[in-house]
Amino acid sequence: MSSSTITSFFRQEKKRTNDGGGVTIAKLCSKIGLDLAPFLVSSTDQLRSTKELSKEAEERLREFDIDMRYGPSMGLTRIERWDRASALGLCPPADVECLLLATSTISHCLWQGRV
Amino acid sequence: MADSEMGEATLERKLAVYRNLDERFVIREERYKGQQFSHIYFMRLHHMRSQLQSLIPKWKPHLPVNTVLGLEEGKECIIVGTLYKHMKLKPSILDEYSKERSAIPLVKPHNFMSTDDHLILEDESGRVKLAGPMLAPSAFVTGIVIAVHGKETSEGDFFVEDFLEAGLAPQVDRPLDSREDKFVAFVSGLSVGTNAFNPLQFQLLVDHITGHLGDENEQRISSKIVRLVIVGNSMHISHGFFSGQTVAPKDHAKLTEPIRELDIFLTQLVAALPVDIMPGCNDPANYSLPQQPLHRCLFAGASAYNTFVSCTNPHHFELDNVQFVGTSGQNIDDLYKYSDAKDKIEFMERTLRWRHLAPTAPNTLGCYPYVDKDPFLIESCPHVYFVGNQEKYETRLLQGPDKQLVRLISIPRFCETGVAVMLNLRNLECHALSFSTNL
Repeated sequence: MSSSTITSFFRQEKKRTNDGGGVTIAKLCSKIGLDLAPFLVSSTDQLRSTKELSKEAEERLREFDIDMRYGPSMGLTRIERWDRASALGLCPPADVECLLLATSTISHCLWQGRV
Repeated sequence: MADSEMGEATLERKLAVYRNLDERFVIREERYKGQQFSHIYFMRLHHMRSQLQSLIPKWKPHLPVNTVLGLEEGKECIIVGTLYKHMKLKPSILDEYSKERSAIPLVKPHNFMSTDDHLILEDESGRVKLAGPMLAPSAFVTGIVIAVHGKETSEGDFFVEDFLEAGLAPQVDRPLDSREDKFVAFVSGLSVGTNAFNPLQFQLLVDHITGHLGDENEQRISSKIVRLVIVGNSMHISHGFFSGQTVAPKDHAKLTEPIRELDIFLTQLVAALPVDIMPGCNDPANYSLPQQPLHRCLFAGASAYNTFVSCTNPHHFELDNVQFVGTSGQNIDDLYKYSDAKDKIEFMERTLRWRHLAPTAPNTLGCYPYVDKDPFLIESCPHVYFVGNQEKYETRLLQGPDKQLVRLISIPRFCETGVAVMLNLRNLECHALSFSTNL
């Protein structure tokens, strides 16, 4: 009777965080030698997954928007444009992919909604 | 299938292995999120540029390839880009806002060419006006990708000394081992629902193809028809119904009668042989290219048969490993409005040489704003290229520099001419079938 409480029948499991996604992004970043720390700013939210992009990161993404090689940037999300460039064999920068995958918000280009 | 009265063996219709390759024209995963047409032009330029870059070393190996922004005055080089033809007579929506509205409506010429037209070449970095006698604007349209050799002049134009089009795409070999004649029948512009439609004339065609007409010899010929392709404008819904107002109950019949009449004919056809039906500009399908297949609910009778295939426009299929590509005419008709050629077949040849089915889309031809592809690019040269809804029946066998062989067919409107086209799969020979009800 001592240890057979209800918790021994229904074992409590820790809630799974987005470790799956986090591990992949960390792997990606370490592969290319990118340290994400300066780019990610913790928001007041407790959950690890919602990190806002710092100003440096936003600058890097804007450079990616303007780059003519990967085609027009308006009308599709940044990650879609990255995927398209990758599918065409244009080798878009891997650090941009890391930055885009690290945030949960889907970002459009600079001019979206303004033009 | 026809029985002979003397108890001889039943004539069996020949069969051919069919593969429908319309998947790239079906709009399935695409979502419209407000994007514009810059993406389709980017995809077109990217794809065509890589093809041209593999051809440039064989054309002029000693010249450098520059971007438009990288041009230096007087330095001979090659640039690759998309052509834009500036035409002052081309109607522009901006005219409605810039000038005062006149009470008299503008007369629409069927052809917008003028002697002032000039060509501009554009890539991602910039655009430059093309000068010189080598490129005659009347033979080109907006939207094709070419390479030009020349140099920048002091006025900032690019003086063209020579140009390179991609040319016919490589072609898969056609199987040459078939010994029997198998025919594909094409008909276009039936226009059921108009006054021009003659039911008796079309019934003659249906009876001939299904083998209910003629003596045994004629039935033998009909049994060799393996497929019928109906190339657009099978029905004509009066454009008054497209204004967006509700249709009064008394007008319901005018809306549904043509569709039902066509379905009756189609059911007779699909009961006898496989039929592909493509939408055209007058059919109840979407306006912009690629037109999506006509919905099965329109054809209550015919869609019950598995021989009924509703196709996209453009339509791409394979019969016994022979590649067929065709449209209901919008691409060629648009070329006719913006450029000049001696006949429609020459326009068709040009689209093959430019490796693009509808180069004027999306400039003057309605088109879906694709983001990650341009489905009209011709990657592999077809064996048969057909266009429907034309004035007359014309055909030519085009030979390419790399042993490509293409049968070009211009299919006339059946309601006006009573002419359908038969193609022999064995040797790509083509002939006309003419039906007349005049005594």
